[in-house]
Amino acid sequence: MKEPAQLINRYKWYEILGIYCGIFVFLSFVLAPFVEGFLVSLKPLSQLFSSPYRFVPENGSFAAYRTMWESVPGFGRYIFNSFFISGIVTTVVLCMVVPAAYAFARFEFKGRGVLLAAFLAVNMFSGAVLLIPLFRLMRSFGVLNTYFAMIVPGVAFLIPSAIWLLRTYIMRIPKELDEAAYVDGASHFYTLRRVILPIAMPGITVVAITTFIGSYAQQFIFALTFNAKTEYMPLPVGLFAYFGRQEVIWNELMAASFVGIAPAMIVIFFLQRYLVSGLTAGAVKQ
Amino acid sequence: MGQLFLNNVQKFYGDFEVLKSIRLEVKDGEFVVFVGPSGCGKSTLLRMIAGLDSVSTGDIVIDGVRVNDKPPVERGIAMVFQSYALYPHMTVFENIAFPLRVERLVEEKIREKVEGVARILQLDKRLQQKPGMLSGGQRQRVAIGRAIVREPKIFLFDEPLSNLDAALRADMRIELSKLHQDLKATMIYVTHDQVEAMTMADRIVVLNAGSIAQVGAPLELYHKPQNLFVAGFIGNPKMNFVPVTCEAAGPEGVTVLCQGQRAVIPVAPRDNLVGKTLTLGIRPEHTHLGHGDLLIDVVPSVIERLGVNTVAYASLPGGEAYCALLPGSAPVRVNETMKTGIRAADCHLFDADGLALERRIDWQKLELPEVTAGE
Ligand SMILES: Nc1ncnc2c1ncn2[C@@H]1O[C@H](COP(=O)(O)OP(=O)(O)O)[C@@H](O)[C@H]1O
Ligand SMILES: [Mg+2]
Repeated sequence: MKEPAQLINRYKWYEILGIYCGIFVFLSFVLAPFVEGFLVSLKPLSQLFSSPYRFVPENGSFAAYRTMWESVPGFGRYIFNSFFISGIVTTVVLCMVVPAAYAFARFEFKGRGVLLAAFLAVNMFSGAVLLIPLFRLMRSFGVLNTYFAMIVPGVAFLIPSAIWLLRTYIMRIPKELDEAAYVDGASHFYTLRRVILPIAMPGITVVAITTFIGSYAQQFIFALTFNAKTEYMPLPVGLFAYFGRQEVIWNELMAASFVGIAPAMIVIFFLQRYLVSGLTAGAVKQ
Repeated sequence: MGQLFLNNVQKFYGDFEVLKSIRLEVKDGEFVVFVGPSGCGKSTLLRMIAGLDSVSTGDIVIDGVRVNDKPPVERGIAMVFQSYALYPHMTVFENIAFPLRVERLVEEKIREKVEGVARILQLDKRLQQKPGMLSGGQRQRVAIGRAIVREPKIFLFDEPLSNLDAALRADMRIELSKLHQDLKATMIYVTHDQVEAMTMADRIVVLNAGSIAQVGAPLELYHKPQNLFVAGFIGNPKMNFVPVTCEAAGPEGVTVLCQGQRAVIPVAPRDNLVGKTLTLGIRPEHTHLGHGDLLIDVVPSVIERLGVNTVAYASLPGGEAYCALLPGSAPVRVNETMKTGIRAADCHLFDADGLALERRIDWQKLELPEVTAGE
């Protein structure tokens, strides 16, 4: 039997209509490029520039998903690179941000406010402004054209927002839990490991996902500037390989984009399992 | 051993003096209750004893050792928080075992101790559940279990029962008193509820705006409050305060003029009282219809019939609230004058500064409360 909706969730028919119209409009703007991209990946190249243009492919096939591996043999490597760089970036960011966010959430220390404000300010500079100075820095350290060159700036630019995000989450965990642990003799690290980490897991997952995605997105610009070696190129740069000398192999390019995103999607799918809410139920009396 | 000595302990938050030079000695095995209105500094004092808040000036001494700079574990205290502060992701077993795991006790010992504690607190069947699945009373017991498993010298409780419903609170009061008898440990208990204070305490410390208003046994506070604050705070309904003029003071007591009548209140006199305005304290339960050394006529505006008792609320000509606690069947009606009589021996008298003139009674000899003795 269908449960009657709670009073607060009851809408008039025109309200529901309005809500769905709104959803439809925004969703079509978000999804249309993906749909179009997917349809393109199904078409043979010759059909792409036919006029009149047809959205639905005639005799569409998944051929492009096969041939893409042949026209750009290094594509698997690019996916791996992307994955590898983002994975390392996420791991490093988490290792640094979890204790830092805990400290920013719980301890009063000199310069805390200034530091937090500085983090926000750093976020406002896009990495692009700092590319030239960073390039010179890396060149003088001699680390250009390595994974290192793409990982370190990625970590540096993702830490501030991750600290803000996780700090807010940890501040919602009742302070009495820390105090109870302290009274029982636990050190700060023990409290962090046994009490705060497990409770903050949903928050940490959100940070992990946003960091992973953020790293995926910003690789392009770092790889383009700090790396010239084909074998270290991440996916976004690798896609340029489909831009041939005469023509762009659009259908394979689209197919490659979808294949390239797939691993990230899988990771996020597995992470979201930790996004359960209500983990603090019963901690303190409400 | 669990002796505690607070030597002129003071606490400032910025310029705000939260606690003003608290001096208090707690004997080993005593059950001491800090009571006072919200915001008077009870929690702050308890947290300072626990080692969660620093002391601005003064010393905290436990068993002869100054512990100001020691962390909580080294002080030999355990604390039960105002909110239960249970770890939501751990089972009841792990919650209670937490302090032992911090100590790195061997698994066998942990199991033995936790199960022992669970048996005392009737949690044996709940050990594998998470706190979220427990009722309020059970959560409270888990929090207490986590405190007793470490066998501390001093237990600190911060309003542990304030969020339980009335029936459960009464049960838990009795359980805590039993626990105190069994463990024979020193317990310091903070509450704003005077019933909890009166029923459980060996000694009550009444706090008012950061200072100790009075320290004493529950009945001592009831029969011999040292000032207006304690007189008004202990007792329910609240004590009536009637302004009176002092006419004479002698060895037999202080003669006062109250609502046009004279009465000799048997209290220890003091110099320079004659002619001054004093405050006469009358507990509502000490008013009787019609007879007494002092008669006060009032018109009740509200009457509450509780079955066993009837409470009549009125105001005096001067505007002061006046409340009478009468037998359940008392023949009083709203807007009809009632004549209340009070025995002079039941009255309290306070000087202009609100300090009590000592009553000439030995409260320890009073077997029964005077409300029944007076009839
Ligand atoms: N961290 C703090 N900073 C400033 N003032 C505080 C702090 N903690 C408590 N106070 C003040 O100290 C006073 C006593 O608080 P508290 O001990 O919690 O009272 P209660 O008797 O209700 O437990 C209150 O007036 C409160 O505003
Ligand atoms: Mg409090």
